[in-house]
Amino acid sequence: MLQVLDLQKSYQTGKVTYPVLKGISFSIDDGEFAAVMGSSGSGKTTLLNCISRYIPPDSGKILLGDTDLNLPDDGKLSLIRNRELGFVFQDFLLLDGLTVRQNILLPAIIGEMISDSVEEQADHLCTIFGIDKIKDKYPAEISGGEKQRTAVARALINHPLLILADEPTGNLDSKSGRAVIDAFLQARDSLSATIFMVTHDSFAASFCDKVIILQDGQIWKTLLKGGKERGVFQDELLDVIREMGR
Amino acid sequence: MKTFFDVYKHLRRKNRKQYLLLSGCLFFSVLLISSYVSMMRSQTVLTILPEGGDSRKQVMMIFVLTVIGCMVFSLYAASLFFRQKSQETGILLALGADRRILIRLMVREMCVLSTASCILGIVLSIPLTKGIWILFRLLVVDTEEMALLLDPQAFLFSCAFSLAALFLLLSASARSIRRVHIIDIISESHKSEPIHAVPQKYGFIGIALIFLGIFMGYNIPSYIIEKLNWYLPEGISSIFYLPAFAGLYMVLLHAVVNGWHKKNAYKDLVATSQMKFQGRQTVKNLLVMTVLIAGAFFASFYTPTIGIGSTMEFNARSTDYVYRFRRDQDIPMGTEVQKLAGEYGVEITDWTDIPAIRLGVDGEDQIKKESAVGIMLSYEYKEVASSDLFLPASAYTAFTGEELPLPHGSIAAVSNPEGIPRLSVGVTLLTNTLTGRTLPVDSVLSLENDALSDCYVLNDEDFISMNEGLTDEWREMLCLFNVEDCGGSYDFAKALLYDIIDRSGEEVALFNGWDPVRRQIDIERTGEYFLDSEHLEEYGFSRIRYEERDSTVFRLYWAYMPKFRVLDRMDFVKTLAVFLMLFVFISLVCFAAVFVIAFTRTMTIALTGKGLYEDLRRLGASNAYLYRTVRSQAKRVFVTPAVIGTGIIYLFYVMMLYFNDGRISVQEWAGLSCCGLLTALVFCVYYGIYRITLQKACRVLNIK
Repeated sequence: MLQVLDLQKSYQTGKVTYPVLKGISFSIDDGEFAAVMGSSGSGKTTLLNCISRYIPPDSGKILLGDTDLNLPDDGKLSLIRNRELGFVFQDFLLLDGLTVRQNILLPAIIGEMISDSVEEQADHLCTIFGIDKIKDKYPAEISGGEKQRTAVARALINHPLLILADEPTGNLDSKSGRAVIDAFLQARDSLSATIFMVTHDSFAASFCDKVIILQDGQIWKTLLKGGKERGVFQDELLDVIREMGR
Repeated sequence: MKTFFDVYKHLRRKNRKQYLLLSGCLFFSVLLISSYVSMMRSQTVLTILPEGGDSRKQVMMIFVLTVIGCMVFSLYAASLFFRQKSQETGILLALGADRRILIRLMVREMCVLSTASCILGIVLSIPLTKGIWILFRLLVVDTEEMALLLDPQAFLFSCAFSLAALFLLLSASARSIRRVHIIDIISESHKSEPIHAVPQKYGFIGIALIFLGIFMGYNIPSYIIEKLNWYLPEGISSIFYLPAFAGLYMVLLHAVVNGWHKKNAYKDLVATSQMKFQGRQTVKNLLVMTVLIAGAFFASFYTPTIGIGSTMEFNARSTDYVYRFRRDQDIPMGTEVQKLAGEYGVEITDWTDIPAIRLGVDGEDQIKKESAVGIMLSYEYKEVASSDLFLPASAYTAFTGEELPLPHGSIAAVSNPEGIPRLSVGVTLLTNTLTGRTLPVDSVLSLENDALSDCYVLNDEDFISMNEGLTDEWREMLCLFNVEDCGGSYDFAKALLYDIIDRSGEEVALFNGWDPVRRQIDIERTGEYFLDSEHLEEYGFSRIRYEERDSTVFRLYWAYMPKFRVLDRMDFVKTLAVFLMLFVFISLVCFAAVFVIAFTRTMTIALTGKGLYEDLRRLGASNAYLYRTVRSQAKRVFVTPAVIGTGIIYLFYVMMLYFNDGRISVQEWAGLSCCGLLTALVFCVYYGIYRITLQKACRVLNIK
């Protein structure tokens, strides 16, 4: 589904260059729920922004299915973002001027794919994620958890190949955070969505099938959940993080 | 909502306040500019303000400041709009919206918005300009000349300004979308505008530079003319003012970033830090406000300074009625005037007529050579360089009662007691221009008399000998008299004036300063004399026409315009109506711009700091503390430019008055005091707007 090969990215401040991603390679399978963890400054968000091409990488390859995302054509990139990728941001990034339902439908409207069935799909997503009662409300009138679930529903409306989530539980209390993770799990299980999530929260990561641990722009370790219990996997994650801190 | 266009339209409706703010700012800028330019380019004003004259330069200078101010203000509104819109744009791009479609939509939107705002601004400027002018005519003064004739071509400038604003708006919108990194666009609205650390000394260095710039800008060009005989081109002369602008920027930077109260820095910590991180925009706005306040006060000082100065000058005149005429003209005097006075029930208490002769005087003839670096002056001594009026000593004594022991070959110069003492230094030779007879002279006295100022006095025998052979073209008569009730003699004064004008021939329809000797020299040198009627308009002056005897041009510039105290006093406002009202109009426009900018800037600071105020409240800040904080910010926006702008203009004005004649006269002090009262009045209105703005900001921030 997603293949990242030797990805490199650095930032320039004045004359000093700071390498952030130092040749990262990994892959995510179809229908997999994967997470990236790491300490602050390890390059998690930069990795996500490079995959979504919000920022261009310096070198390396990103393949989404058979498509190389290193496209020079802005129009094609927009099309891929709209049709094949779904986004969930830490700050939700909902449009304040649109209702919950309108926000969910936005990617379909942008992609000119609006139809009765898409509208039904939006309503269905509202039901799945428990936001059907607030679907006519504006973002300013709902809670953070509800906003994030709206963002997850929005990310799914165009049936993307991959959902990219940047710290989706970062701004939420534990109850709302759990609701968002449930929404992802539901998306994976009911809608066969593939999810790539950046998080620093070991609890959220413990629900994932695969967790990539980054340190200083490189992959420190990749952990697979396999058939482990969630709690056991979380302990394993915490051990790795502790080990990394030594 | 089925299409992206529907979404965009829906979002526009939801964000209509932002759109309204932007279009309001554009509308206001264009309205002010159009109103100003339509007034400035109106036939009414152009006829009155001589081209190349100081008044027109001042109007132009303030206009340039207003244009810069309005442009900066429009750009500020645009940047605010795009900052607020950037998150929306970023989200749409992040969700896969096509950048080109977004640009197209935004360009179309900006075109419609700015075109509508600008057209509305231009169209409404006509009733605004006419409305204000009609109010002036109804409430202050109404003359024939005040009929406002707008020139449609003036609106071409408004269109050019609108196009420039549209261009800047479009490039700002394209720039905001074209940015490659979507993340940057999304986070744009969270970005603050930090200013790097500003050293404490900036405040004082800035003040010093302001003083230095104003001093240098005003004096260096005159010094260069005086010492190097070199008129710098105007653009270069203005360079000497640049330190003042640099100083102004430094002072504002210091006021915004550091603040002036250092004793208890923590007291203003929140206000200072918040201002600091909106620094660049705040300083830009304050700079524009300061310059506009200075321009507005400069324009508004014109009326009280001229008004008070003139009123005091009229009152200080020693003689009620003074007029002079060329002896080849059949002008009423003596019994004829007595008779006319009788018809109007006016009693003439004393009458004096003094014969005068126009003689050539020697001096340095100024020769101007124009080049790319300005005008170079050179001087050449000429035995006959110009001409002056000479009176016999006995007549002077008879009129003033002053004994004048003038020996043969001596002259005395008469000057106005309120003016600069005039010495006849430099005049060493008098010439009868018709016979060629010369008289070497030296100067012995400097006399003071307002009615006879600018004349010279000669020994009686010298007067007789130099008079010989002169024709009446070179002879004049000065008539001076007082009346019993000067205030009640207005109708007589007007009748006498009209009689004098009606009986004056076309050969004396001359512009003030017209000199037959200079004319001869100029014609020999260049083939023309700039003060001849046929060349006046070419050089930016208006022709003297007897049929326009009540016009400003005629009353101010006719070479033989009588000085009748009652007429000058009563007709003063009428004579200068267009001047006075134009400057009042300009100051109104500038102050209006200042008020709107101050209001908008304060409200923006309040709106962008809303989150901060909520956080402070959560941290336990009382309403009183929050109020103090928002007041501190509003104060900096309102007070800093007001204090600096007013200070600068007072400094400039006082310096201008002082360096004009090396002193500040009583009239000038009185004028300045009147300006002080006007400043206090403006500040009262300004304070009212400050209070309203503060209340509104508090309401936005939920501060009770």
